[in-house]
Amino acid sequence: MSTNYIVENLKKEIDNFSSQIKAEKVGHVLEVFDGIAKVSGLSDIKSSEMVTFPNGETGVALNLEEDTVGVIILDDFSKIKEGDEVKTTGKILEIPVSDNIVGRVVNALGVEIDGKGMIKADKTYPIEKVAPGVITRLSVDKPVATGIKVIDAIIPIGRGQRELIIGDRQTGKTAIAIDTILNQKGQNMICIYVSIGQKDSKLRKIQTRLETGGAMAYTVIVSAGSSEPAPLSYIAPYTGVSIAEYFMDQGKDVLIIYDDLSKHAVAYREISLLLRRPPGREAYPGDVFYLHSRLLERACRRNEEYGGGSITALPIVETQAGDVTAYIPTNVISITDGQIFLETDLFYKGIRPAVNVGLSVSRVGSKAQIKAMKKVAGTLKLDLAQYRELEAFAQFGSDLDNATKQQLERGKRAVEVLKQPQYAPIAIECQVAVLYALTKGYMDDIPVDKIKEFEEGLINYTENNTKKFYKEIMETNMWTDVGEAELKKAIEEFKANF
Amino acid sequence: MSTLSNNDIARAIYLVSKDKTHAELHNVIDKVVKFLVRKRLLSKTGDILERLNKIINNENKKIVVKLLSAKKLKEEIKKELIFFLRERYKAKEVILTEIIDEKLLGGIKVEINDEIIDLTIKNKIKKLQEYLIRKT
Repeated sequence: MSTNYIVENLKKEIDNFSSQIKAEKVGHVLEVFDGIAKVSGLSDIKSSEMVTFPNGETGVALNLEEDTVGVIILDDFSKIKEGDEVKTTGKILEIPVSDNIVGRVVNALGVEIDGKGMIKADKTYPIEKVAPGVITRLSVDKPVATGIKVIDAIIPIGRGQRELIIGDRQTGKTAIAIDTILNQKGQNMICIYVSIGQKDSKLRKIQTRLETGGAMAYTVIVSAGSSEPAPLSYIAPYTGVSIAEYFMDQGKDVLIIYDDLSKHAVAYREISLLLRRPPGREAYPGDVFYLHSRLLERACRRNEEYGGGSITALPIVETQAGDVTAYIPTNVISITDGQIFLETDLFYKGIRPAVNVGLSVSRVGSKAQIKAMKKVAGTLKLDLAQYRELEAFAQFGSDLDNATKQQLERGKRAVEVLKQPQYAPIAIECQVAVLYALTKGYMDDIPVDKIKEFEEGLINYTENNTKKFYKEIMETNMWTDVGEAELKKAIEEFKANF
Repeated sequence: MSTLSNNDIARAIYLVSKDKTHAELHNVIDKVVKFLVRKRLLSKTGDILERLNKIINNENKKIVVKLLSAKKLKEEIKKELIFFLRERYKAKEVILTEIIDEKLLGGIKVEINDEIIDLTIKNKIKKLQEYLIRKT
């Protein structure tokens, strides 16, 4: 590249440059501490408006007081000094969005952090937006296949739903989320994983897992690490949902995971206390409910007239010692359309995913469940409920009638079938075949410790021998008598050779 | 319990002292000082007076303008500027404070309260720099 070329290019760029003359509102930094700046002046500033500091740092005005403005700083605040000039921008905080963001890891401001080069974007989206109105929405009726048997069968999730994943630490909350992302391959779904206040090592592990599973081809990771200032953790989920809205506006279906909202609430509490907002229950500020409700309300399924597309949200909340009555868990439970409740006891009993089927619900998902699954799962729920009830009684008495014994045996097998290792999602038609065998009693005479082996073998066998049944389910979501007969025959054949 | 801000006090002082005669004003000032002593607000006097000044200027439609330039400006330009500012801010009187700052390289910068109109070469170069960085 010659010097002349550079000079000519530079000249051309300078010719294109024009600066607008405008009166700017300017304030001065009074104090800076812990990612917060108190600024004087800025008389006409709006709430949530972006401000800029002399070294290019961005901030967001949160507290508008009589004389001062409380600003959260979204970059390194160590270079900001008292007396520095602060300028308003007239814009609500926005992030760059484009199709190129898929497969990348970005920070809470939408800037890449994976070292794969700048993400070119020609559009920006505001991070705060009013959720779509009633007129634009459709009810949930299309399923999100998670590939996890217990969820797809008992707590089904629909596109546009908000399903909370709740449980203590180390109970497999993130594992469910990651498995769900991995299972979206070929399902026409863009996935967004928002990591809030997580360890960078954990994020790296997740990224590597998604890359090896080929899931990064349709996934965006938004990260606000634990070493970053609280304001970034606060805005990260909003950034994630703005990216999701960008794809939804193209009519695409999006799955967004917030991992986790309890850390998000903690970050917001930190900011609020530093801004001297009055603390309420558990020292959270008064608007902590609105903080999450306005975020989760942006998940929706839009009707075709308004462009179609959907945002399915899977927020994660961590509980302390299984206490779901704490402030944030109860808030998020009431906002979402159901919850997947994970328990430590079940986890250590070897029931993984450690889903407590009794406490977990999906309020709208059953409408989205495919017909075939609904048919097999209907009796499964009943089997499990009866099993749980009888299990407690059976511990006291030894003389049980045959019907009770049979129900107990069925329950044990149902629990065994619903166990599933991590990173091993199962296609919905295979799930239907396995659950069909279970609920129709084909597994009743298989020993409990052989159930896993039987299940794996059955899936392999039916995949090759019941092509008609699988095809029917994939095309029409239900089997016909011909398909059912084929499946029955295949199960009997396999069982005979097992 | 509601707290009194310095701005509230300044506004109250303005309202009680408005349209008062010299003798009445003396009495008002006496009461204000006693009030500040009683409320232990004497240390805030500087800020309160500054705010009072702003309120009075605002009520009298007077604006205080800080004019920064690299070189001393000609009287004609200043007159033109005062005329422009009077129109823009609907002011009756414009008080101009001139400051010479060679670092601005050229052009002028006008500061009125928290509003800045920056027409300096330094600002333009900075904007050009931002533009070129963004372009590449």
